[in-house]
Amino acid sequence: MLRRSVVVIAALASILFVPARVEAQTAPAEIRIGHPYAGSGPYASISMPVYLGLKLWVDRTNEAGGAFVKPFNKKIPLKLIAYDDQSSTATAATLVNQLITQDHVDMLVSDSGSVLTSVAVPIARDHKQLLFNPTGTGAAFFTKDNPYVVLLADPASTVWPKYISELLGNSAKTAGIKRVALLYATNDFTGTQASTIRNYIKAHADTGLELVYDQGVPTATSNYTVLINNVAATNPDAVVALGYVGNDIAFLRNLQDSGQKFPFLFMIYPGVEKEELLKNVGATGMEGVFTYAMSTEIEYKPNFGMTAAEYKKAWHDTYPDGKYEFGFNAIAGYTVGLVLERTLATTESLDQLALRAAVQGLSGKLTTLDGPFEVDAETGAQLGEITPVGQLRAGGKMEAVWPLDLANGKPTFGKK
Amino acid sequence: MLIGALLSGLVFGLYFTLVGLGLNLVFGVMRIVNLAHGDFLMLGAFAAYWMFALFGLHPLYAALAVLVVFVVLGLPIYYLIVPRLQMARDAEMLSIILFFGLSQMIEAVTSIAFGTTERSIPGRVLGTGPVTILGQRLPSAWVFGAAVSAIAVACVYLYLYRTRLGSLTRAVMVSRDEALATGIDVHRVSALAFGIGIALAGIAGVFAPFMLGSVTPALGPEINVAAFAVIVVGTLGNPLGTVLGGIIYGVGLMLMQTYFSSWANILPNLLLIAVLLFRPEGLLGRATRRA
Repeated sequence: MLRRSVVVIAALASILFVPARVEAQTAPAEIRIGHPYAGSGPYASISMPVYLGLKLWVDRTNEAGGAFVKPFNKKIPLKLIAYDDQSSTATAATLVNQLITQDHVDMLVSDSGSVLTSVAVPIARDHKQLLFNPTGTGAAFFTKDNPYVVLLADPASTVWPKYISELLGNSAKTAGIKRVALLYATNDFTGTQASTIRNYIKAHADTGLELVYDQGVPTATSNYTVLINNVAATNPDAVVALGYVGNDIAFLRNLQDSGQKFPFLFMIYPGVEKEELLKNVGATGMEGVFTYAMSTEIEYKPNFGMTAAEYKKAWHDTYPDGKYEFGFNAIAGYTVGLVLERTLATTESLDQLALRAAVQGLSGKLTTLDGPFEVDAETGAQLGEITPVGQLRAGGKMEAVWPLDLANGKPTFGKK
Repeated sequence: MLIGALLSGLVFGLYFTLVGLGLNLVFGVMRIVNLAHGDFLMLGAFAAYWMFALFGLHPLYAALAVLVVFVVLGLPIYYLIVPRLQMARDAEMLSIILFFGLSQMIEAVTSIAFGTTERSIPGRVLGTGPVTILGQRLPSAWVFGAAVSAIAVACVYLYLYRTRLGSLTRAVMVSRDEALATGIDVHRVSALAFGIGIALAGIAGVFAPFMLGSVTPALGPEINVAAFAVIVVGTLGNPLGTVLGGIIYGVGLMLMQTYFSSWANILPNLLLIAVLLFRPEGLLGRATRRA
C-alpha cells in the first residue's frame, strides 16, 4: 500500500513539476552580452568611456537581481564578455567572430566609433547576429537590406551636421559668414559629416555660401600649424574642422599658439568631450567655438534610467580616480545599457530578429538621458538623439544657439 | 604657403631629429632595434605631464630630471636584456621581437596606471603668442622644442667627439669585436649609450605634448614609424645623420600637408621605400656611418 502511494505521489509530482522544470531549463542562467573595446591605442579615449558606461549599467543591474527578460518572465543576471581589441580593426574583427561563434553571446555590442564598428557590421550580418552599435555612425553601415544593425547612442553621421549646416546658412544671410573652409579627418565619422556639409553649401550657394578650402587629413594628424596657415591664406569667414578628440586638441592648441583667429569656428569634440578638451586646451582656447551641444549640456527628461546629473554622480562615484573623463561617450555606454534593458523587457524571444523588432518597438517611446530614442525602421540608423549647435562661452560654459526652439543663447561671431 | 611649409618643416624636423637620435645611437652602438623607443618617449611625456600637474615643474627642469632618471633606468635595462640578446645568432632580428614585446608591456601598464585620456601641458608654459621668423608665424613651443633638439644634438656630438667615453663609443660603433679585443669595456660603453638613447627619447617626450598636441599611452608605435623613417633616411647607425633625416622628414611632412594633405601620413613609408630602393645605406652613406 505504502509502496503504491509513493508511486502515485511521485507520478503526480512529476506531472506538477514538469512545466517548472522545462522553464528552468529554457531560461538561460545569464544573458551574455559581448563587447569588444579598445583598452589601448588611438581609439581608447573614445572607447573606454563607452565600455565603462556599459559596465556600470551591467553591475548596477546585477546588483538589482539582473534584467527582466520578458520571454521567461523573470529577472536574469547579465554577463558582460568584453575583450580588448587594442584599437586594431583586425583584432576587432577576430573578437567579434569569437563573441558570436565561441562565446555565443545573446547580445552583441560593437566597439565605439565608426572605424572599429566598420569591421563588425559585415561579420554580424553574415552570422545573422544583431549588432547593437553604440556610436559607429558611418552612413554606409545602415542600409535597407541589412536588419542586423541598429544605432543606439547618437545619430547617423548624415544627421549630425543638420543643425550646423542650417546655422551656416542662416549666418550667411544674417551675419555675412559666407566663405567656408572645411578641414576634416578622413574617416567614416568625420568624412560623412564633411560630405553632408559640403553638399549643403553647394545646394545653398544662393545664400552666398562658398567653399574656399576643402581638404581631408589623416585621422592620425597631430599638428595643424601649417594647415591653419593654409586655411587662413584662403581668408575664410567660417572654419569647420572635423576630427576626433586628439585632432581637436591639437588643432585648438596650434590655433592658440599661432595667434590666428577665425570669426566662426566649428569643431566636434569641444562639445562631445568638453571636460577632456577643457583640461587640454583650457577655457580661453575654446571660447567662442561652435560645437555640438550633446546630452552632457542639454538636460533631457528621461522616462527610463538616470538623469544626466544622477549618472554623472554615479560615474564619479564608480570611477573616482579620474583616469577616464566623464563626457558624451560615458553617456553613450550607459544609454546602450538602457536600450538593452528595455529590449530584453519587451522582446518576444532572444531570436536576433525578435530583438531587432523589440528595439524598433522602443522607437519614439523611450527617452533616456541621451534624448529621445528614434530608430529608422528600414535602416536601423538613429534619428532621434539630435545634435543641436552650441557655442562655448567664458569659463567653458556652453549655450545652445541652434535650432532656435532649443536655443538658450544667440550665436556671436569674432572679427577677422 | 610654400615658405611657411618649408620653415615649419625645418623647425618640426629639428624636433624629429631629437625623436630619432636616441634610436640611432642605440642601433649604431649595439646593432639592435629598440622598438620600445616610442614608448620611452611616451613615458617622458607622462613624466613631464605629472611633474607639471603635481609640482608645476617647468618642462626644462622636467627634461633635466628625465635625462638623469632615464640614463639611470637604462643601465639595468641594458644589463637585463642586451648582453643575452647579443649572444643570439641573429640579435638584430630578435631585438625587434623582444622590444616589440617590451613596447606592448609599457603601453599596457601605462594605460592601466593612468588611463587612456589625452593629456597635455598648457602651451603658455613655453611662451605666449607666436614667434615670427621670415614673416612666418610659428608656435613658440615649436621653436623651443627645436632649440632643445639642437642643444641635444650638440651635446651628443660633444660626447662622441670630445670625450674619452665618446671615443670608446665610436670604437664600438666601428667594430664591437675589435673594441672588445683591444680591452674596451664594451658593456659599460654600450650600457651608457643605451641609457643616453632612451634619455634622448624621454627628453623628446617632454616636448611631445607641445609638438603633438596631446599624448596618450598609445603614442609609441606611431612615433616609432616616424623615428625609423628619420634614421633610415639619415643613415642607420650614424647619430648625426639623424639631423638630415629629421629635417627631410619635417619639411616633407609639411609640404605633404600643404599640397596633398589626405596623403600626409604615408610620407614616412614613402621615404623608407625610396631610400631602401635607391640608397639603402642612407643619404650620408657608409663613410660617415663609420664615425
